[in-house]
Amino acid sequence: MTPRILVVDDDQALSEMIGIVLRSEGYEPEFSADGNDAIDAFHGTKPDLVLLDVMLPGIDGIEVCKRIRAESGTPIIMLTARGDTADVVAGLENGADDYVVKPFNPKELVARIRTRLRPTASDATVLHVGDLTVDVAGHEVRRGDAVIALTPLEFDLLRALSEKPNQVFTREMLLEQVWGYHYKADTRLVNVHVQRLRAKIEHDPDNPKIVTTVRGVGYRAGGA
Amino acid sequence: MPAGPSRAGSLSTLGRVGRRLRHWVRRGWRAVAYLWRRSLMFRSVAITVMTTGLAIAIIGTAVMISISNNVYAQRRDQIESESARATIVAQGIFDAATAGEDNNQSELETLQSEAQQAILSNTTSPGGTSIAIERSPDQAGPQTVQNVASQHFPDAVITEALRKEVGKNTGKLSLQPVQLDEDGRRQPGLAVGSTLQIPSAGQYELYLVYDLSDAQQTLDFVSQTLSIGGVALMVLIALVTSLVVRLVVVPIRGAAETSRKIAAGRLDERIPVRGNDDIATLARSFNGMAEAVSRQITQLAELSRVQQRFVSDVSHELRTPLTTIRLAGDMLYDSRHAFEPSVGRSAELLHAQVERFELLLADLLEISRFDAQAVQLDPEPVIPAALATDIVDEFRPLAERADIDLQLVTPGGHTTMQLDAKRVRRILRNLVGNAIEHGDGKPVQVVVDSDARTVAIAVRDQGIGMPPEDAVRVFDRFWRADPSRKRTIGGTGLGLAISLGDANLHGGRIDVWSKPGEGSTFVLTLPRNDRVGVTTSAIPLPDLDESYEGPRAVREDD
Repeated sequence: MTPRILVVDDDQALSEMIGIVLRSEGYEPEFSADGNDAIDAFHGTKPDLVLLDVMLPGIDGIEVCKRIRAESGTPIIMLTARGDTADVVAGLENGADDYVVKPFNPKELVARIRTRLRPTASDATVLHVGDLTVDVAGHEVRRGDAVIALTPLEFDLLRALSEKPNQVFTREMLLEQVWGYHYKADTRLVNVHVQRLRAKIEHDPDNPKIVTTVRGVGYRAGGA
Repeated sequence: MPAGPSRAGSLSTLGRVGRRLRHWVRRGWRAVAYLWRRSLMFRSVAITVMTTGLAIAIIGTAVMISISNNVYAQRRDQIESESARATIVAQGIFDAATAGEDNNQSELETLQSEAQQAILSNTTSPGGTSIAIERSPDQAGPQTVQNVASQHFPDAVITEALRKEVGKNTGKLSLQPVQLDEDGRRQPGLAVGSTLQIPSAGQYELYLVYDLSDAQQTLDFVSQTLSIGGVALMVLIALVTSLVVRLVVVPIRGAAETSRKIAAGRLDERIPVRGNDDIATLARSFNGMAEAVSRQITQLAELSRVQQRFVSDVSHELRTPLTTIRLAGDMLYDSRHAFEPSVGRSAELLHAQVERFELLLADLLEISRFDAQAVQLDPEPVIPAALATDIVDEFRPLAERADIDLQLVTPGGHTTMQLDAKRVRRILRNLVGNAIEHGDGKPVQVVVDSDARTVAIAVRDQGIGMPPEDAVRVFDRFWRADPSRKRTIGGTGLGLAISLGDANLHGGRIDVWSKPGEGSTFVLTLPRNDRVGVTTSAIPLPDLDESYEGPRAVREDD
């Protein structure tokens, strides 16, 4: 099955070029040029991944991101022209899994897409962390009988942490394992997504017990 | 003897008291000097009081002299006429008696006391008069009259000089100011001497001594009144001056306070304007100025904001088409072997130049962020020596290609510091890259050292170097030492300018030493604590015109 990717960008040339790149890599691109249309296109095409420009006519990329995330865990990669501004943090906080700074090259883009679409290794194991059950094969997290809905990225993050309970992961290790970065990348990615994950799995996100912070080093699951 | 130590003790106490006194005097003097320098009010009042004090003293003295002269002259005239009258009356009594019959001794004495009475009744001077009738020396007469004097006659005041003067018998009165001793107090007086011719007894001298203490009292009173008046006037003037100066100084202080606030960024501060006087005019023009300045600043801030916005928009607008070009170029580049050789080469050139364009755009945006002061440090714990090691390892392949021996010496910088690692890495990449590019095949040394206040990283090449006029310009934007020089790494011309911006952001700096043919050394110096600027460096560099043998650590290694 060819993964479908929704490209939301108002620049027609860029959209078309991204489409060419995606097709050459074996993906099936769909396009939307407008923030207002993007949600409809999302419903219509049911993509496996969304490439989302931040600056859009109609409602902006951040808002689109928020709306998509409200109903689905589909991976979202933001396309941004400004890698160091509040845009990035706003996008991540509203559910984007990753971002690519323009101008990017085809390999960079494809590598990011591939990481997010990578099929999770089905070791058919069930992990336990705190009072949570992480069903790796079923891609599901449960507290008792209640299923906690996580995005694939949040699931990957929790799984990475749970697979080695009590081991401290630095942000760089998590960036490599979860996001597929092999060089220094933006540690805000980790910080923001750990916050989002905690908001879903912790009883008291302000006083986390499952994913704890090790000051000056990183994070670990399972508590001390 | 017990007095010895006690005296020594009291002496030392005295010394201590003296020292303390001197200390306080000095402190007081310093306080006055400070007030004099700092307080317009104090200075104005002091100057006014001093000058008016001087004027009052001069006028007062003049008035006192004039009044006392006047009072004295008046009394003197009065005394003179009284004495003359008394002499005439006394002489009359003696003459009248003589006209009658020859005189015997007792009669003369009666006459004498009669005359005395007459003189006393003729002198009305307040304060009392003393009388003495004395026989002139060297008189030969049949009879003598006893020298008489009123009670408590001050004999001492009748000096030889006065007696001589009177003895001349000029028929005039002889006057002499004298000092009277009254109950131990000295009082001014006037002695008047004249001669009396007593029949059959010869020439006698009549002395009248007048007490002038009443006049002195008057004068004392006047001078006291003048002094009190003078002091009161000075106090009044001091008060009036301070009030007047206050009228001026208080608004000035207000203006100073307001300008301080404006300087501190509170651009809306204004001086309250009251009335229509000069101060109000000052306040109005000050406010006008503040208004203009704040308008300018607001305008500039707005311009800067627009500029920042513009840069940000340009960034977005440029980056989107550049992304398309990049993607297209890479697609072409990846299939360049499928094209004809010339088209394939074009794809290669396109690919390389798009990359260069991208770097240039990124550097330009970074510089514009520095200009807009829109950059922020993102500090994290960093070990400088470890960071330098990473960078050196990163550049080893490039150095090998350039056939350059890349050496790393780290005598210091092994403790953790709070640094923005991304920026420090960027600086080092830039410096090491430049050193390899300009190293002329000779060894390039990277030295990390530290002292109490700073951590310094030196990058030294022994290549072509630069003349001093070039060395001072290396941090200028788009400046190239030698435009014709072949570029192997291909910088944007903004690298060192950005590096300097990064260093400054840390409160650090980059120094350079260079000499043609001897190579260049760049030293990045970062403060250990806080972001206060550094003034010294753990790796000091000499002036451009001096010779340099490399960092100490390297020399010692050799």
